[in-house]
Amino acid sequence: MSTAETEIRRAPEPATIVEAGPSAEGRPAAAPAPVARARWTFWRLLGSELGLTFRRPRNLVMLGVLAAVPVLLGVTLRLMTADDEGGVGGIIAAAAGNSLMLTFASLSFLVTLLMPVAVSVVAGDAVAGEAGAGTLRYLLAAPAGRTRLLAVKYLNAVVYGFAVTAVVALAALVTGLALFPVGPVTLLSGTTVPVAEGLLRILVSVGYVGAGMAALAAVALAFSTFTEVSIGAIAASVVLVVVSQVLRAVPQLDGLAGYLLPTWWNDFDGVLRSPVDTAALGEGLLVFGAYALLFGSVAWARFTGKDITS
Amino acid sequence: MRRGTFVRWGVPVAAAAVIAAAVGAGPVIAAVGGPPALPERSAQQLLADALAAAEKSPPPMSGTVQQTASLGLPALPAAGAGSPVALLSGSHEVKVWYGANGKFRIAMPTQLNETNLIVNEGQAWYWDSAANTATKLHWQGGARRSPAPSAPAATHADLTPQAAAEKVLEQAGEHTAIRVINTAEVAGRPVYQLVLAPKDDGSLVQEVRLALDGETYVPLQVQVYAKGAAEPAFQVGFTQVTFTPPAEENFTFTPPAGAKVEERSLGADGEAGKETRPGDADRAARGLKVVGDGWTRVAVVKASAADLTGGTPSDGERQGERQGEWRGHGGDEADGRAVVADLLKKATPVSGPWGSGRLISTKLVTALLTDDGRLLVGAVTPEEITEAAGVR
Repeated sequence: MSTAETEIRRAPEPATIVEAGPSAEGRPAAAPAPVARARWTFWRLLGSELGLTFRRPRNLVMLGVLAAVPVLLGVTLRLMTADDEGGVGGIIAAAAGNSLMLTFASLSFLVTLLMPVAVSVVAGDAVAGEAGAGTLRYLLAAPAGRTRLLAVKYLNAVVYGFAVTAVVALAALVTGLALFPVGPVTLLSGTTVPVAEGLLRILVSVGYVGAGMAALAAVALAFSTFTEVSIGAIAASVVLVVVSQVLRAVPQLDGLAGYLLPTWWNDFDGVLRSPVDTAALGEGLLVFGAYALLFGSVAWARFTGKDITS
Repeated sequence: MRRGTFVRWGVPVAAAAVIAAAVGAGPVIAAVGGPPALPERSAQQLLADALAAAEKSPPPMSGTVQQTASLGLPALPAAGAGSPVALLSGSHEVKVWYGANGKFRIAMPTQLNETNLIVNEGQAWYWDSAANTATKLHWQGGARRSPAPSAPAATHADLTPQAAAEKVLEQAGEHTAIRVINTAEVAGRPVYQLVLAPKDDGSLVQEVRLALDGETYVPLQVQVYAKGAAEPAFQVGFTQVTFTPPAEENFTFTPPAGAKVEERSLGADGEAGKETRPGDADRAARGLKVVGDGWTRVAVVKASAADLTGGTPSDGERQGERQGEWRGHGGDEADGRAVVADLLKKATPVSGPWGSGRLISTKLVTALLTDDGRLLVGAVTPEEITEAAGVR
């Protein structure tokens, strides 16, 4: 079956994919406003995709584990600091002193591996999982086209990436508020900002880390279009993250670090400086954009030209 | 293969090309450069203008300073990121804010940590977020500090800048070929590069380039090139700079609640690592001898391996000092000694009519520790240093 055939054949959408099914006004409106209909299909497809993602037990378990880590971290800290003063330093000590700092400590702890793994699972599964299960061709039968389907898959993974970040931040925030004193936040630069501004800075760092996860999602999605075995795509992107982290740790390869995606994830600590290190944050966002563009276009080139056999 | 496939894969290729262009654009634009952005200047004119500018206080500015060293040292044992020893390899970044009246702030951001030095009207604070400690610093006497390396020959204040420039060039001309490049750019600003090249073949230094801002004559960059290397072995300079007065809150510091507050007075025990320090004349005078002149000067100190690796603190520190002076940073005692011990293990044994010893050579500096208890250090070739070892 050639690509052209697949794209031209705009069969009516099978009711098995989207539980709502083609709605009443959908069918008669097809002739006068095809563009509007396609756009609507896009959002409906995204909605059903998100529904599937956030109902899938596996994905929920990953979110649960990620939410548990900050709680564990906070409780450990609480017990530890009750025992003896001092001994620990830096951000960990700061987290014990202020409820909001636990969020930053948790993000920096989880962003190195655990959050990327969760995002890789969802994004790596996006295309390969459907192909493996044999449901991809039914999806392609929807009048959305391959480009739109890929966009839906990517947006779905991006939303999950932001959800992962938000869940970690929220769990840490709630734990921090419950266990540690609330008060003005001491930044890394030694200046203090009010609680409201601290919350705002948490919001900015969630946005930044979420964008970093979105860039990883593009990489995993690109891997996903090359295989029909979803575990292969997931493993490939997790291995990429781990290898990048190892390469970053080798001092002799200092020059390489700037090109690796994980190098930039931790730069959310720019929000904790005074003045906010907008240059570092901006540069990080540019890198994320470049990664998303490159791997997104690879995924597109592969997916739109691929022969779908299953 | 269908034609469509090629067209389709053209998209990611184009994306890659755009990204590569964006990444590579900076250096390429700087290299292509085009016609010189600044009018030509002779070394004397440039130096005179720079000295005239140095007499006034430098304009308020802020920016990012990056320091890169690839001295070709054997792999150093892992030292803490904040340790001065770490500055001997790799690249490091500090942020600098400089306001009028000698107010300044230097911040060294590292992963989820930051150290700050804030100086404002006789008050100085050193803040270390990792230790959660704010240190109030006092110092005796008129130990002046400036964020940027100050222009040479500030002592010639009695002369006019023109006369001072002439004098400096006359003295330097004996050993150094001096020229000016007016096409270079540092941190996006056109600069004059004063290039000092040693005339002596025995020196390991190819040339030293000092970049002065084309408008304000503030030194923006210093590069030291080793012989036969295209990349500088040592470089410190701005990667980003703006000449607008920084926000006032950069220069005020109140210790945050919950932080340890300490007071410390400088001078008695130097707060190492933050500043370029003036040559410690009295300490150096103890047992320091200089052989040769100009760029091939070799410093000779009395020292033995035992002193350097774990002996008395004063000697260990002195070693740090000797190395440190060259790079503009003092040594940290414990780290310094560990590094020296490690270096000595990797040193090459050498011998000659002058005796025998162990030689450590890097791209820029050669050190010889003789078995009869002398340490020779200089920016010279190994041949030159063994020759110096023969001079008693």
